[in-house]
Amino acid sequence: MRTLMAKLGYTGAGLTLCAAVLAPFVLYGMFTKGFASLGLHVDEMYSGGPKVRTVQAAGYTIDIHRQVSPHMWQREKPFVQLDWKPVSALPSHVSDLVDIDGDGQPDVRVTFDVPKDSKAPLRVNVDSLNPRYEAMWNVGRKKFSDLIVRVDDAILVRVPVAQ
Amino acid sequence: MATKVLPAREPRSVGRSLLLTLPIALWSALMFAPIFRGASRPDRIAEAATGIFMVVLFFMMMRTWSTYRWRRWFFVAMGLLFPVGFIHTVMVMRGTMGIPIEEMIAGRTPFCFLPIPLLILPAALTKTLVFPGSILPNGGMSGGGMAAMAALWLGITIVVGKGWCSYACFFGGIEEGMASIPAKAKVRKIDPRWRYGPWAVLLAMVLLSLALFEPAYCMWLCPFKAVSEYVAARSTVGMIQNGIFIVLFAGLVIALPLLTKKRTQCAFFCPFGAFQSLFNKTSVFDVKIDKTRCTPCVLCQKSCPTMALTDESIAKGETLMSCMKCGACVDACPKDAAVWHIRGTEVAVKPERARLMFLYAAWAMAVMFGGRIIAGGLATILHLFV
Repeated sequence: MRTLMAKLGYTGAGLTLCAAVLAPFVLYGMFTKGFASLGLHVDEMYSGGPKVRTVQAAGYTIDIHRQVSPHMWQREKPFVQLDWKPVSALPSHVSDLVDIDGDGQPDVRVTFDVPKDSKAPLRVNVDSLNPRYEAMWNVGRKKFSDLIVRVDDAILVRVPVAQ
Repeated sequence: MATKVLPAREPRSVGRSLLLTLPIALWSALMFAPIFRGASRPDRIAEAATGIFMVVLFFMMMRTWSTYRWRRWFFVAMGLLFPVGFIHTVMVMRGTMGIPIEEMIAGRTPFCFLPIPLLILPAALTKTLVFPGSILPNGGMSGGGMAAMAALWLGITIVVGKGWCSYACFFGGIEEGMASIPAKAKVRKIDPRWRYGPWAVLLAMVLLSLALFEPAYCMWLCPFKAVSEYVAARSTVGMIQNGIFIVLFAGLVIALPLLTKKRTQCAFFCPFGAFQSLFNKTSVFDVKIDKTRCTPCVLCQKSCPTMALTDESIAKGETLMSCMKCGACVDACPKDAAVWHIRGTEVAVKPERARLMFLYAAWAMAVMFGGRIIAGGLATILHLFV
């Protein structure tokens, strides 16, 4: 029994050495692909949720995302993310009526300035035309659920949904 | 009982040491050679210097029979150079060490290994990763997405288990460096109950992460935010978070290691370390105490940087599951009673064979992962001068 256990131990040690040699060439790739194929997704509170519709505006588009709701005790409100892009095609002042729920009626009017300096802070006003969506005044980027930020070639506005 | 010290072991011959170092020299060449193609001069110098550094340390381990003191050079170098390379990268890419909210939304928050245990429950229950990063292997701020880090962690953990904390953790070197500065510990009596600290923090952080759906440890308690990146202080809460990071870093990583000569953050606080201890049960390599040789003088207990040896565990001939295989106890034992061991084999039968097999595996990982970090930090410094 002792000999068998010792043989098993040395076999394990040998296999560990093999794993060490294979780690950067085979195992790393296998594990990376395996992890990526688990079907996991980043929390929508960060990513903004999947895009459901695109609205064409004059020379630019507005992507409307699915509503994101907080989990358990997450310290944020539910929100809907709207993306204006490309930034290069946006006028210096944007004021758009947006039909978020797709019922043919505008739900909010979103107003913001587009500074030429990409690092300049953004501020947004949202007038609520549907009580389901909350109004925002002079909001920057304090919380994930009500903000305006520039991400790459898009300006993202998150409109809180009334609970 | 007085401890009879065995006569100092003769160093291994240079030729035999060189022969034993050859596989690691070849491995280092293999790991660093592809980077030479198209790299700038400072990068090439840094890669070559790191490769030589790692090979020389391994040679010294072979020549002197000692593990801990040579491994410590590598570990401290990694701990000191990681922030250099990392801070340089974030400053170049985003101009600040604070993580702006738009970077989180874009999934460009760099992902380190520390939040891994916190993400498991939310991922298992809702398929959601509660971290503002990218899953893709080539995602994240500098091409290191969550999949890449998770794969590296899993690969290295399979090979070294809890040895991660001695051969791969790019944060632990700072406190190990601090702990090595004083000649003697000023605080010697430490309540052994502090040992349960990492488990308590792990449990609290796992539950909080699930409840709040955020990486609670990264948001509130990680001392290493002080030398990597922090929550951009947009509000009072952000300022409080940053204050906590700085206080924990100053206390657990700087002051307490200086006073106790222990890796206090690892031993009493780190939830990842507690989680990683579970993988000591799956690793074939461990450290044992040969009861037939042990006096016991408890020098091993005193030398252990994470208090992974107790009177009871020594009596049983074992280390606790928090042992991170640094080799301090083996080097400290004057009777050669603390030995490297392969599970299933008899204790103290060919311990050098067990040490060699473990060191080849662990050092291969150290060169692959830690070596890159050291080279990255060195290259950053060289870019300033060369």
